[in-house]
Amino acid sequence: MRATLIFAFTQLKRFMRDPVALFFSLAFPLLFLFVFGSIFRNDSGISFDVAVFNRSETQFARQFADGLKKEDTFKEVEVGSFEEAKEKMGRNEVDTIIEIPKEFGQLNENQHPSGTLNVFYNEASPDTGRTVGTILDAQLREIGQQITQSSPLFTVNQKPTTTANLTQFDYMISGLLGFAILSMGIFGLANQLPAEKKNGSLRRIRATPFTRTQLIFGTLIYYAIVGMVSLVLMLVVALTVFNFDMRGDWLQLALFLVIAIMLMLGFGLFIGGWAKNENQAAVASQIVSFPLMFLSGVFFPRFLMPEWLQGITGYLPLTPVVDGIRYITTEGATLFDLGPQLAIIGIWLVVIYTLAIRLFRWG
Amino acid sequence: MTKGKDIIVVEGLTKRYGNTTTVKGISFTVREGEVFGILGPNGAGKTTTLEMIEALRSIDEGSVILDGIDVAKHPQKIRHIIGIQLQSSAFYDKVTLREQLVMFASFYGKQVDPMELLRSVELEDKANSYPEKLSGGQKQRFSIASALVNEPRVLFLDEPTTGLDPQARRHLWDLIKSIKKRGITVVLTSHYMEEAQLLCDRLAIMDSGKIIAMDSPKKMIKDLLDRGFKKPEVVEQADLEDVYIDLTGKALRE
Repeated sequence: MRATLIFAFTQLKRFMRDPVALFFSLAFPLLFLFVFGSIFRNDSGISFDVAVFNRSETQFARQFADGLKKEDTFKEVEVGSFEEAKEKMGRNEVDTIIEIPKEFGQLNENQHPSGTLNVFYNEASPDTGRTVGTILDAQLREIGQQITQSSPLFTVNQKPTTTANLTQFDYMISGLLGFAILSMGIFGLANQLPAEKKNGSLRRIRATPFTRTQLIFGTLIYYAIVGMVSLVLMLVVALTVFNFDMRGDWLQLALFLVIAIMLMLGFGLFIGGWAKNENQAAVASQIVSFPLMFLSGVFFPRFLMPEWLQGITGYLPLTPVVDGIRYITTEGATLFDLGPQLAIIGIWLVVIYTLAIRLFRWG
Repeated sequence: MTKGKDIIVVEGLTKRYGNTTTVKGISFTVREGEVFGILGPNGAGKTTTLEMIEALRSIDEGSVILDGIDVAKHPQKIRHIIGIQLQSSAFYDKVTLREQLVMFASFYGKQVDPMELLRSVELEDKANSYPEKLSGGQKQRFSIASALVNEPRVLFLDEPTTGLDPQARRHLWDLIKSIKKRGITVVLTSHYMEEAQLLCDRLAIMDSGKIIAMDSPKKMIKDLLDRGFKKPEVVEQADLEDVYIDLTGKALRE
């Protein structure tokens, strides 16, 4: 045990003396966080890019068009012609085109302003068209009721639940942390061990009574410390720069992250320990990391997948990690609530460390 | 130097790679406290033999008993009582010599005074240097220091002076002699006959996986002369190495 700790401590010192390793382990995840965080930051709730064409001369139409501009849900895109707007819609720069026809707002037989709005949307995204249509429909109905002084028979009362006021960033951070854990686990270690096989430093250790199990756990300890420092830095930036809204308990999150790092480091130790050289390690890391990156809900939410794929990907090692972090940070879940996630992680921990120790090669 | 008991007993040691047999059933013994040399051309099987004795390579046939312990059965016990300087030895970069020795000692469950070990190989002023900053001779001396952290019964040196300049080589010879004086058995391989003659109490000459001669250097030379061997030229009283050392001095350059 003492040997394992001294080994881990020595490796940690070595790491801190290596500027390149420091950069890739600590600064790189932060850069990544800044890039993705900036993309998702001020986006609280849904909004649509709309082009508005007002062809009506009526005062009512003018007021209505001005009202649209003040609406948070709509971001007006300046376009010259209707054709240009359609072109932009084809390139997804405009979600919908709202056309206010010439006769919109003219008084009907009851002396009330009336009319029909046209909403154009891309056939490829019918959801967007329908949503914008519904929002406008509701707004017009409300205006109509004010004019006719009638009260509606049925209404929908929208009440925020616990998830209200969370920004898109608050949902994204579980994926960002998951990705950071994945990359530091797999890419860092999977390369380091084969390099040490090549330069002979592992050969020298092999000549001593230090066992491969000690080597694997010593490396785990040292890298888990590096990983936790990296995650803490990411969380500090998330809190200070991106106003990360943490709903859960920090201790619960810390414990869960430690378990998650141990799991992903297991994959790095397995690949790096098994690979005879850096080429083998590079190929193996790609094979392992790509499915995890794209199927575990890091970049794409899993609920968008077909059901059978959701079922399978639920058992991937990174899925319970990303889900678990999200449940803690957005819903305030505790480790007791994360039984299913911890069960899958536990099974993977046993499997991966057994493989890592069994298939380890000194050279 | 024939007083000690046998500390290493090798019998019928064999190593095969596919169809080629690199070590062909060799047998020899090493006595406690002696310096035993294994000589031979490249590819003769010296390193493979050494690595089988060190429990770094599996033994295909035959046996090695080291200090009464069967190497094949108890490799972990063997690692505790031997010290190894590998031919392609490497140490972690960015870890100081002092830190390396503390770490290596911990692998044996020991605590050492790193400075004392470094002093014994004349590297105390390099205690806070990284191994990648050392010269060739310093690297070899440090490698030997790291092999001594567990106070081994037997020290294995695989071509310890290959690639060193004459001054560094002479310096290392002195170090090996002082290790022998401490009662540690030394097994070394070498390409340099001068080195073997100077250091080794007994030696084995290997060729193509077999031991073709084994005795003390003196006895081997005497046997050759007895067979009527004569050098074709008159032996000169000095050679080029003497000239070189005379001109550049014996002091270490590093």
